[in-house]
Amino acid sequence: MAKVYTGKDGRLLIDGTEQIKVSNWTLTGSLEVLETTTLGDSQRTYTPGVQEFNGSASLLYYNDGTDRNDAASALKKVLKVAGVTDSDTVTMTLRLVEGNTNHDVQLTAYITSVSFGARVGEVSRADISFQGTGALTTVTI
Amino acid sequence: MSYPSLTPSSRNFNAGDYSYKTFKSQNGSETRILYGDKRTGMTLDLSYDNIADTYADDFITHYDSVKGGFETFDLPAAFRTGWSGNTSAIDAATGNKWRYDSPPAITSVRPGISSVTVKLVGVL
Repeated sequence: MAKVYTGKDGRLLIDGTEQIKVSNWTLTGSLEVLETTTLGDSQRTYTPGVQEFNGSASLLYYNDGTDRNDAASALKKVLKVAGVTDSDTVTMTLRLVEGNTNHDVQLTAYITSVSFGARVGEVSRADISFQGTGALTTVTI
Repeated sequence: MSYPSLTPSSRNFNAGDYSYKTFKSQNGSETRILYGDKRTGMTLDLSYDNIADTYADDFITHYDSVKGGFETFDLPAAFRTGWSGNTSAIDAATGNKWRYDSPPAITSVRPGISSVTVKLVGVL
């Protein structure tokens, strides 16, 4: 059956918890290539180098009435008094849902930047960027 | 073991010079005495980018086989790949052979892949 995915199908999980009030997420994967062209070649040739994964997400700064605020939890990964350590990685799961089927990309990442603010006439939101560390742990897209 | 027959990624050749000595008098006139009829001291810098480690270690094996910079050797034709001029123009001139000017340098790029740079000098 044909299926067009939209933002309605998107989910973002951090450390296995589906985040509430997510307005968008993006994931970028890139591959560094190493040139293997030698003298006499007419076309450039390459071999695979290292991969990199990073992305961003935007969450409404929202309290659900039970004092759960996922945006605040994400912000605290960077906005903390004690500084960031090796153990401050998060498991990011970027998901598109199709009925009972989940199309996931999962990776371990550091949240590398956060920004949030307040503005008259706008909903406060937290924008986060993350940098993957190591290989992807799940790819079921 | 002979020098690895790989095509370099880049090649830099310097033609060297003839052996002569220059004497300059107080009035500025110059006298030169030629000590030999063969050009020597040509240099060749070769780099082999992003090759397998199994090829990179061949350079060390060859470096050992010629006792570092001690012995001289010829280069395989692969080092001239891409050169369409006279083949002898960028090789060691008549009577010369190559020896290592400095040890081969290996830079590890990623697991299993390295880049190698070699500096050679032509000697009589």
